[in-house]
Amino acid sequence: MTYCNRAACYLAVLKTGAVNSSSGSAYAEFGNTKVIVSVFGPRESKKAMMYSNAGRLNCNVSYTTFASPVRGQTPETKNISAMLHRALEGAIILKSFPKTTVDVFALVLESGGSIMLYDMVAAVSVSCIGKNLLIDPVSEEESHQDGALTITCMPSRNEVTQMTVTGEWSTTKINEAMQLCLDACSKLGKVMRSCLKEAASAPQD
Amino acid sequence: MVGLSLGEQTFIKGGIEQDLRTDGRKRLTYRPIFLETGIIPQASGSARVKLGATDVIASVKVELGKPNPSYPDKGKVSIYVDCSPTAEPSFQGRGGEELSTELSSALERCLLGGKSGAGAGIDLSSLCIVRGKKVCWDLYIDGLVVSSDGNMLDALGAAIKAALSNTVIPKVQVSANAPSDETPEVDVSDEEFLQFDTSGVPVIVTLTKVGGHYIVDATTEEESQMSSAVSVSINRLGRICGLTKRGGAGLHPTVVLDTISAAKHVSEQLMNKLDSEIAAAEACDEMES
Repeated sequence: MTYCNRAACYLAVLKTGAVNSSSGSAYAEFGNTKVIVSVFGPRESKKAMMYSNAGRLNCNVSYTTFASPVRGQTPETKNISAMLHRALEGAIILKSFPKTTVDVFALVLESGGSIMLYDMVAAVSVSCIGKNLLIDPVSEEESHQDGALTITCMPSRNEVTQMTVTGEWSTTKINEAMQLCLDACSKLGKVMRSCLKEAASAPQD
Repeated sequence: MVGLSLGEQTFIKGGIEQDLRTDGRKRLTYRPIFLETGIIPQASGSARVKLGATDVIASVKVELGKPNPSYPDKGKVSIYVDCSPTAEPSFQGRGGEELSTELSSALERCLLGGKSGAGAGIDLSSLCIVRGKKVCWDLYIDGLVVSSDGNMLDALGAAIKAALSNTVIPKVQVSANAPSDETPEVDVSDEEFLQFDTSGVPVIVTLTKVGGHYIVDATTEEESQMSSAVSVSINRLGRICGLTKRGGAGLHPTVVLDTISAAKHVSEQLMNKLDSEIAAAEACDEMES
């Protein structure tokens, strides 16, 4: 196996309680990528929505106009809300809040690579350049990649909730990349867990 | 939305468990594929694929365009899928829009490969007309869902593959003396055409997990019972060109690898089947014209 020097994730910075008015919020930083997420609800679903026994999850990811080097939306950013929704859907017990909606809003302040993560769902992407696998690629690396693999998973249950692959891969390479991602996910999961624990044990003011 | 009684749900799930589905198929058997090419005269290439009651049309149009400044020797491809409300009332308004974008982005992921162009089903550099000149071919691939009974992604993938092999690109003459920083004059021939190379276009196989087993080519009723689905696109060499997961439920990593190897196995048969169907449809098309 040949990995590049940087087969490790950037140091992740995580803080909870970034937005006061929300039910829960967090700020995350991976190298140059900085994201704020807030969760609202559960609150009553809109009247126009059909009755549903299970709760609804509404995800919205927006980018600030200065988030990426090229101003404005790129094709990849359009799809990210749906990806986040699918990644979280499996982890939330929607049945526990019927008739209501939980909103998850994410704002990408600065995008220096690709990462999305929230709740106890961890997400990691790997780029394949030539024979090398790079974990947590930065923008420049992404623009030269032969293929990309993104996994979001629930580390403690060892379940993959969302997975996308582009580019040409052999089965062994996918195996290798998945293992790399899952290992990184479990590490990331630990960081998130300790961050939440810290926030919970901190004195309330 | 499919309204199924509890009894019907159990019947479908029980059948899948015993490897005998409601329409008599095994878990890894496709419905019969019906394929027609050259159905839209205005397009450069077109095809219609019927997979049971699922009916989709794909058309390819080539137009002269300007290459992206960051990739001057490559053409451009855009894929758009339209889910018309005539196929299903739930496609009206935003329901159809969401499905359209989901299908379009899944197809882009499966057919266009990585950023550097590795694993792409369509070779973008073959769309370049003259190196260094500001002119290239733009390929517009449009899919239309006419009738939906599950497994639309596989059907659309097959239709696009057939439409691309039906596509002809007109031969062009570029005036050589134009300065390189301007758009050159292009003379498009309407008699001589080039065939498009489609040997690298992958097939898409979707494995839908119902209960503890996964099935290929699920109908709408079976899809309503799914926990998750994995779509894998695989080319002739058996290499994976793209993968998308749908459905909320989590999958164990070993299950993902299992589905990939099952998809690989199924894709060989599907690839051969499609090749012979496309050849037959092309022959039939030529006889008529």
